[in-house]
Amino acid sequence: MDYNELLHVSADVGSELLESGAETYRVEESVYRLVSAYGAREANVFAVPTCIIVSITLGDGSTVSKTRRIYARGTNLDRIDLLNALCRRICRGEVPLEEAYGELEAIRRLGGSPPARRCAGYVLIAFSFALFFGGTLADAGCAAVIGLAMFFVVFALERWKANAVFVNIIASGVTMMLAVAAVGLGLGQNIDKMVIGALMNLVPGVAITNAMRDIMAGDYLAGQARLTEALLTAAAMALGAGAALAVARML
Amino acid sequence: MELLLPCLYSFMGCVGYCLVFNIRMRKRMLLLASLGGAVGWCVYLLCGWLQNDITQSFAAILAVAAYSEIMARLQKSPATVYLIVGLIPLVPGGGIYYTMEYCINGDMMNFMNTGIHTLGIAGALAIGILLVSACVRILNNIQRRKRRETA
Repeated sequence: MDYNELLHVSADVGSELLESGAETYRVEESVYRLVSAYGAREANVFAVPTCIIVSITLGDGSTVSKTRRIYARGTNLDRIDLLNALCRRICRGEVPLEEAYGELEAIRRLGGSPPARRCAGYVLIAFSFALFFGGTLADAGCAAVIGLAMFFVVFALERWKANAVFVNIIASGVTMMLAVAAVGLGLGQNIDKMVIGALMNLVPGVAITNAMRDIMAGDYLAGQARLTEALLTAAAMALGAGAALAVARML
Repeated sequence: MELLLPCLYSFMGCVGYCLVFNIRMRKRMLLLASLGGAVGWCVYLLCGWLQNDITQSFAAILAVAAYSEIMARLQKSPATVYLIVGLIPLVPGGGIYYTMEYCINGDMMNFMNTGIHTLGIAGALAIGILLVSACVRILNNIQRRKRRETA
């Protein structure tokens, strides 16, 4: 058994899971089970949203460990499911260690949601939630266009590696200005429905859900980090939209 | 019709979220995850007789979380996938917006009212998720112990 190989595979699975937005306990448990399935005598895994440490004690009593710092974080739920399925198969002993790396590469190669798909998602979210919150069809149409514009703003800023809070402030500011303009031009009636619909794109749903599940699992450190993320995102949305509204009122 | 249309809108919104979060048609996950959002809003509306949107949100999130856990068992995929998408329509987007608007208008009375009410809804969602995942944990442990005893 090549323990270096095992260490690399397990750290890769763990960091891929963290980068895709899995809960901390799932990351720790998946890596722990994977390492145990390949015959480590003792395994300790520690994960927080920005880092994962895997430490394995071998049959002869020596210990090896690896730390991986996580910088980029997004949401890729399909990848979480695929990695979860891979871990299940490894635990049942169906995947030899030599093949595990190839399977991992195959999952990685699938990539995230392509820009066109994400763009369609942004438009659909803005359109549906404008209707959902009681807007007219005209409002929803305007919201869809605003959603499209918001996608380009978010996409460009993410490409330039802008910080998430900044992205949210700018994106919600742009949303509010476009909504005010749309009502000014007589294209829609309700600024509030349009903006709420479009801003549903930025709602920190992943952060809220995972914060609660992490806290319940006893990972208070990770839970707190995600809770902070959720609160900061909500505050940034309110700040951006509020500032834009205040400016629009002054004009 | 009054029940159907909002549920349809929340379903559509959830489909949008599936596109952004890269949920694909594999194992029909896209449809099932989006259906969670519709189920949640349906329960919310059916609990209209409670006349209190905090309690309604709580009931709805319990339904969504239970739905996610059931789907996770049936589909052998993580419950979070379904929960993250199903939660979205219940997020008090309107509350956050109006709180911000009252703040800009300098209407402190309504700002505090709406703000605290919105926090209440967010709290109800949080407690709902906590409650269901705690129950599932306990059930899992019981099941595991039983399996070990028979083995």
